[in-house]
Amino acid sequence: MKLDGTNTLAAPIETVWTTLNDPEALRRCTPGLQELKEVGPDTYQATLTIGIAAVKGTYSGTLRITDKQPPRHYRIALEGSGGAGFMKGEGSVDLEPQGNGTLLRWSGDVQVGGLIAGVGQRMLGGVGKMLIGQFFKCLEQRLGSGT
Amino acid sequence: MKPAAFEYFAPRTVEQAVDLLAQHGDQAKVLAGGQSLVPLMNMRLARPAVIVDINRVDGLEYIVAAPAVLRIGALTRQRAAERSRLVAERCPLLRDALRLVGHVQIRNRGTVAGSIAHADPAAELTAVLTALDGEVVARGPGGTRVIAASDLFVTYLTTSLDPREIITEVRFPALPPGTGWSWMEIARRHGDFALAGVGVVLALGGGVITEARIALTGVGPTPVRATSAERLLTGRAPSEGLWADAAEAVRAAVDPDGDIHASAEYRRHVAGVLVQRALCEALTRVREAA
Amino acid sequence: MALHDVRLRINGTEYTGRVEARKTLADFIREDCGLTGTHLGCEHGVCGACTILMNGEAVRSCLLFAVQADGAELMTVEGLADGDRLHPIQQAYWEHHALQCGFCTPGFLMTSLVFLRDHPHPTEREIREGLAGNLCRCTGYQNIVAAVAAAAEALASGAHPDFFPAPARPTASVEQIEATEDAVPAAHGAPADMQGDGATGAKKAGRRGARGATTPRGTARRTRKPKG
Repeated sequence: MKLDGTNTLAAPIETVWTTLNDPEALRRCTPGLQELKEVGPDTYQATLTIGIAAVKGTYSGTLRITDKQPPRHYRIALEGSGGAGFMKGEGSVDLEPQGNGTLLRWSGDVQVGGLIAGVGQRMLGGVGKMLIGQFFKCLEQRLGSGT
Repeated sequence: MKPAAFEYFAPRTVEQAVDLLAQHGDQAKVLAGGQSLVPLMNMRLARPAVIVDINRVDGLEYIVAAPAVLRIGALTRQRAAERSRLVAERCPLLRDALRLVGHVQIRNRGTVAGSIAHADPAAELTAVLTALDGEVVARGPGGTRVIAASDLFVTYLTTSLDPREIITEVRFPALPPGTGWSWMEIARRHGDFALAGVGVVLALGGGVITEARIALTGVGPTPVRATSAERLLTGRAPSEGLWADAAEAVRAAVDPDGDIHASAEYRRHVAGVLVQRALCEALTRVREAA
Repeated sequence: MALHDVRLRINGTEYTGRVEARKTLADFIREDCGLTGTHLGCEHGVCGACTILMNGEAVRSCLLFAVQADGAELMTVEGLADGDRLHPIQQAYWEHHALQCGFCTPGFLMTSLVFLRDHPHPTEREIREGLAGNLCRCTGYQNIVAAVAAAAEALASGAHPDFFPAPARPTASVEQIEATEDAVPAAHGAPADMQGDGATGAKKAGRRGARGATTPRGTARRTRKPKG
């Protein structure tokens, strides 16, 4: 499924870039992230518990950052699996200055398979977009508050 | 397809249930009808460590017709409400929507309150509560509070209820005499989740529409009140052309997701068609009541 | 995990067991009570193969935990035939070739039984709607619908006074939980914020739900200890 969104962050582009590449900031805005370990250049091992309401699953896998063009662009590739299913996706993040802040555009293509994909098909796209949106909203708030 | 192990409690009072939820926090899930929760548990998509089974709590199974509102206790089964004379008389929109909730076996166990607390984006009862500006009574560690439908549904499967709260009562405003109503939905098979569903309430006075309520399900993360369409209808004389305008207003107001069952465009289109048909049926009922 | 005691009745016979809370009623019936007529198709509430009657209503036994049925009156497909004498519904299914592999059939039979109780003169459309909660992969449903229509005729003929055995009769009615204005519903403790708790002096009838079934009096029932 294809997902995309736009966020406006109240911070200059370099700050946004640094934050996006800071594992600690990512951890703070991803409540279910249990582990994010750098295992190679721009490659991370991650364990993520994610879901909505009572439906939660834990996924383990790899995250790779590629095509880095600081401070404006990078691509991300992830794949992970868990009891409830597996996912594989890739996307891009593009930043551009907007006034005193930054306009962030994200887009991605995610394949989800396994039990969660079959049972949750009706809501997968909507929930996926919402969860990713929550992540960027959290970043927006953190950068807006200056932390 | 067997659930993971859990600790099981079957409290006998609301207070005991609330205490258990307060004790176990987000490790606990309330079990009422179980028709949504247990499938998730059987597939291990949900693995609550603690189950608080409220089916043995006293005093929660009732349908009380107060002058302007129907009060339905948290353990009232969907099938009981569907067959209730009081529901048929006071709130026929609810009765018509209930008939389309799942299948008989599901309605024999599923509860009215449970469907609302579960907040499936394609549920019928959440849309009916929204159309009628109903409310729920919730009890938690902090006491009792009333939550209006407009404040209740947050997103997919998520309400503004605290995890330590349980709904004790659902309140559906009664339809005033002379009011027309209609519930319509489209699903690929009987009992499937609606691709789109519409609940409509209509009242006329002096030849023009004095009240119009339109709520939709299946077209977003929560039920949608089509307020722009409602405003468009109020004060105007009913006509085919007016229904078509309302349908267009609804189409502009919804932003459905697409999936393998139906595309976003299809849901949007069908939502408008259902609104037109429902308004037509509601008008017929207004005239029959006169 | 802790074990819980369960005592219930199936087709008039009492069964007891000690099970984990997570054991579904379907599994308890099959494994602990040895009644394997109730089948597991999907175990997530879609196919209806596990349909049984609980306190006189058709339910999906895969979506109930055995502990929830403590004190309940159940009926399964084994309760239909009387020795070698088929129940009229079974007879109709047989005569109309309404089963092939038979896997879905117990669920269909239980659903059909209470459907006819509640709709003794059904139209074809009503039959199809009434059976919509049960799936069949073999027959294409035509013969099932015909069988239920035929069973309705058998019921209407009056030749089968025991068409609905005791466990297939409803144990509660909606009227018991209805009330108008501030009157207290007879069947249940009044909600805490209602006036007049008990003031009407109405008799408290049995609660609906797992404990609501009244124990039939009369003939002795042996308690059968489940296997294992």
